[in-house]
Amino acid sequence: MQNVTADQPITDKERQKRHQKAAAKRGKQMWLLLAPFLILVVLFSYLPLFGWVYAFFDYEPPIPLSQSEFVGLQWFKMMVQNQTQMHQIFQVLLNTFAMSLLNIVTSFFPVLFAIGLNEIRNKHFKNIIQTLTTLPNFISWVLVYSIAFAMFSSGGMVNDLLQNLHLITEPLKFLDSDSHVWLKMLLWSTWKGLGWGSIIYLAAITGIDPELYEAGRVDGANRLQLIRYITVPALMPTYFVMLMLAVSNFLNNGMDQYFVFQNAFNQTHIQVLDLYVYNVGMGQNSLSYATAISMLKSLVSVALLFIVNKVSQKTRGESII
Amino acid sequence: MNKKRVLYTLVAASALLLAACSSNSGSKTTSKAEKDDGKMMTVTVYDDLANYQGTPKGWFEKYVEKNFKIKLNMVAPNVAGGGNTLYDTRTAAGNLGDIIITGTNHVAKLAKAGLLTDMTPYMSGKTYLKKYKGATDSITKLANKKGIWGINSSVSSNSPTTPSEGLEPTTAPYIRWDLYKEIGYPKIKNTDDLINVLKKMQAQARKDEGKTDIYAISLFKDWDSTIMQNAGQNLAFYGYEVNQGFVLSKGNKYQSVIDSNSQYVKGLRFLNKAKQAGLVDPESTTQNWDTLYSKYQNGKVLFSYWAFQGQGAYNTAAHTAAGKGFELAPLENAKIYSVGSMPDGNSTFIGIGSKAKNKARLVKFINWLYSPEGVQVQQAQSTGYSAGIKGLTWKMQNGKPVLTAFGKKAFLEGGTVKMPAEYGGGTWKDGISTLNFVAVNQYDKDPSTGYKYGYVTWPSVLKLNATKLSKDWSEHMGGATSSMDYLTKNNKLLVGAGVSYTAPEDSSQISTMRGTIGTQVKNTSWKLAMAKSDSEFNSLLAGMQKTVKGLGYDQVYKVDLKNSKAKNALRAKLIKQYKEEK
Repeated sequence: MQNVTADQPITDKERQKRHQKAAAKRGKQMWLLLAPFLILVVLFSYLPLFGWVYAFFDYEPPIPLSQSEFVGLQWFKMMVQNQTQMHQIFQVLLNTFAMSLLNIVTSFFPVLFAIGLNEIRNKHFKNIIQTLTTLPNFISWVLVYSIAFAMFSSGGMVNDLLQNLHLITEPLKFLDSDSHVWLKMLLWSTWKGLGWGSIIYLAAITGIDPELYEAGRVDGANRLQLIRYITVPALMPTYFVMLMLAVSNFLNNGMDQYFVFQNAFNQTHIQVLDLYVYNVGMGQNSLSYATAISMLKSLVSVALLFIVNKVSQKTRGESII
Repeated sequence: MNKKRVLYTLVAASALLLAACSSNSGSKTTSKAEKDDGKMMTVTVYDDLANYQGTPKGWFEKYVEKNFKIKLNMVAPNVAGGGNTLYDTRTAAGNLGDIIITGTNHVAKLAKAGLLTDMTPYMSGKTYLKKYKGATDSITKLANKKGIWGINSSVSSNSPTTPSEGLEPTTAPYIRWDLYKEIGYPKIKNTDDLINVLKKMQAQARKDEGKTDIYAISLFKDWDSTIMQNAGQNLAFYGYEVNQGFVLSKGNKYQSVIDSNSQYVKGLRFLNKAKQAGLVDPESTTQNWDTLYSKYQNGKVLFSYWAFQGQGAYNTAAHTAAGKGFELAPLENAKIYSVGSMPDGNSTFIGIGSKAKNKARLVKFINWLYSPEGVQVQQAQSTGYSAGIKGLTWKMQNGKPVLTAFGKKAFLEGGTVKMPAEYGGGTWKDGISTLNFVAVNQYDKDPSTGYKYGYVTWPSVLKLNATKLSKDWSEHMGGATSSMDYLTKNNKLLVGAGVSYTAPEDSSQISTMRGTIGTQVKNTSWKLAMAKSDSEFNSLLAGMQKTVKGLGYDQVYKVDLKNSKAKNALRAKLIKQYKEEK
């Protein structure tokens, strides 16, 4: 040891240097660990932004972008050039917001469902219920629509049944009508997602210390009181995390559900932003215009972010960005 | 270092991915002839008309395989659905197909992007492609590039003012004649009368069958574009046509689709009146062509816009012998629009993709499609069109074409007859050409027989087709031998001269507006047809008029009107030209 010290006296400076070197090496390693994810983010979040240039060109396949005419802000002007057009886009945004909001408002359903499920004492019955309610999550929307069609179309099961019972004379229009579209869509998505959404809460319930319940029972609490004072408070942190995730997905309320359910009759109220962009771009062959509209989504997202940030500043005293 | 390597690999992989994404097929136009390798090959056919996707199985496919060493692989937007999606993605990828069958409105862009092959180097000996030079020239003109880039469909050697139809007009009111007979042949002065007649017929049919799911009218939405296609059929009852986009015309009289008194809105009112009278099938809004067709086959629908629908589905040998079936209704104030023969073809064309292999063989194949043999074989349907394979379904007897016993089974008895082993087996009906492409008008004269291609017009077949149904119909229609005969004799036919006109391309703004307006018109049309009351109808209509005007309807209409006038001017020129030639 002494030899070493004699040969290479380690000064504070050197130690620091070595330390730095080691830290740098570790940092590099850490960075390498991170790199794949950075690449993914660049590939899937930033690179697609390049597609925005299409909004400034007059792009129509098969003519490649390089040969398309640069039109500047033409498509953006078109969006706001007249009231009817603006009204349409406003309606689309309204649909998007309304259906997202309905989903958020009803986001406590899985909590209730999980609590209810947890209270079932018969294990077999509980398992059956859980399987049956989780299963719809794995059915694609296309198949859900076929089921909906088989049951609720004018010649479907429900209408046939009601007609055979002489309760109605003309078939009820469940699918091809413009009334209560938002609500119907909510019911379908609830049916599909309820069981799946409750899994995380069931897991959280299992994590609650049983001693709490025992103590509660000793204190003479009944079942409802146990739920109210132990289960629900214990689930709240999980619920708020899920709620936050739902809010951050506010504009991404999917399009496949609305795509399969849309028809000439309900289109006014079923078109959410993503679906509208698809219909304009693919259905009406205006890819550049559709790109311009889709940029709205980012705009609205940024606006939402600032609003939430402001709210957070006001209520919690600290901002999130 | 290992991790470094991983990183490099990742970077390299993503770079590759990017390169793959951005590597765009450059436009390449070779005009040198390429040699045929003579091997069996699979040919991808992008076909806007096809109703079949994938590799067809059946006698037509076997026929092509044997004679051209070509296996077909159909790409059908009709089956895939989703509007222009398939076209857009395939063209953006730089390869639409080896053989391309699509609208002539796409020619300019496809040629510009280098997705079409110039057939010039392969033209020697291609008699039939040369015969219809007017058609190939019209594509050249559209492509705005020297060369032969394709040929229009439905070409004809007849004058443009000759109807392109044979025995039945393209669109006309067809009703179940047996029920019409049962209610005592009441007069049908106009479409209001028609609704009353249909109402009685529906009641009669429900009484006869004891079923309540029989409806006079049943609709479908598969062929909707910027308007509701079914309602648009009403135009043809009174000599109107959709000239261009949102412009309707009757001769040189023009109408705007959305006008409260336009023939299109009248068509919607007709459907809505029928709906309010309880005559429209409630499943109309959701069913597709196939579901509807089977309803016709089962006698659940009593009115049809087309002979190929009503008669095609219901007028089987058994039904007609019993006096049952669809026949033309004697609508007194009708002036049926007839599509004139098109010397230069209509607005669909066939061409060869630039990435295709063995182009010489493909040109040979297309040339064959336009030959008498090709027209007979490829354009044969399950019933009512070309006569099929000579020697199998038809033959010459004393210098006249007749159907063979096999042919009668194939065409007149439902088409379920089994094909002989040498033609690959399967049924006749299931093996017909999946191209669904009309190269030459089937009512043109077949130079090899001296009679028309369509067997239904052959004297030998006309004699066969006299049934209890047709005799009864003829008796009540002043002894007419066919619908076209009746309409011509009673001056109830208006021929729109057949001209090959492709409107200049919309500017991108107009085309975007057309898209949004079209969606609005189409969707509201369905609501209009299904409205519960006249007042709901009127308020929906007013709402639509206001909305589409707000979306720029007037601008689009102006463009369409200009194009319509250009089309009619071209017609006048063509007719004059033909008169002078005579």
